[in-house]
Amino acid sequence: MLEIAIIIAAIAIGSGIALLAGAGVAIAEGYVAGKAVEGMARNPEASDTLRTTMILGQVISESTGVYSLAVSLLLIFTIAVPLFNKLMELLG
Amino acid sequence: MQPEVLFTVFSIPITQSIFFTWIILLILAVASFVFTRNLKTIPTGTQHIVELIVDGIDSLVVKHLGENGRVYTPFIITVALFVFTANIIGLVPGCESPTQDLSVTFTLALIVLIVAHVNEIKVKGLGAYIKGYFSPYWIMFPLNVIGELSKVLSHSFRLYGNIFGGAVILNILYMFVPYVVPIPIMLWFGVFMGAIQAFVFTLLALTYIQIRLE
Repeated sequence: MLEIAIIIAAIAIGSGIALLAGAGVAIAEGYVAGKAVEGMARNPEASDTLRTTMILGQVISESTGVYSLAVSLLLIFTIAVPLFNKLMELLG
Repeated sequence: MQPEVLFTVFSIPITQSIFFTWIILLILAVASFVFTRNLKTIPTGTQHIVELIVDGIDSLVVKHLGENGRVYTPFIITVALFVFTANIIGLVPGCESPTQDLSVTFTLALIVLIVAHVNEIKVKGLGAYIKGYFSPYWIMFPLNVIGELSKVLSHSFRLYGNIFGGAVILNILYMFVPYVVPIPIMLWFGVFMGAIQAFVFTLLALTYIQIRLE
């Protein structure tokens, strides 16, 4: 019973750490948006092209963040929740 | 994480995502039929909206794939409308977005991959297509294959992660404040993120088709 509790605690900590990847993604996306605004201010006619390219660049750099989100969600919903239900059964 | 099985037909389990995919197909088919009756040269009423969607995506396709790529406009419009409706339908109480199921988004990404590769074979020929895997040197072959597979993974995980993450956050919010407060957050995660992710999925599908032609 204690082993299951330790595994659940480790999964909770691990999925929290996995979400730290969001910090890097946030910095990267902010940088892309800032550069795009610089370009738009300098050359307002190119706004439409710049906006599409900005969204594409942000989305591609977002994929690492989404990977970490998927990893932590998978950890919680496929391992931690069944283990938690089992623990509750054992406790009665 | 296991998809919820609603009922079984001839011992085939019908999951929630399949059921809501059918509903979306029905909505889109009926809407396409109704909105394209009595088309006029000078548009009136709903014809404006239909023309806006078709024109916008058509110009996007021509910008990426050139005039010859126009054959892909119907496919791209279908993908865009399906993903958009699938993201939005999660806002209706009792409905779940099919795109929060990884199998749905993975299938969509796989369809895009197959279209991109068949298009490349059609345009460049089979010899040049196989040779592309061994360029610039033959030793790059494993890297090229992994690169192609990771495209499908990132393409599907992006849509799935965003929609599923939004749904999880909304469900947690419903537990704490069930009334009024979730509405602006539902608008953000449902409508805004749904529209952005649908646009991004379409744009990436186009980019993947275009990248194979270079």
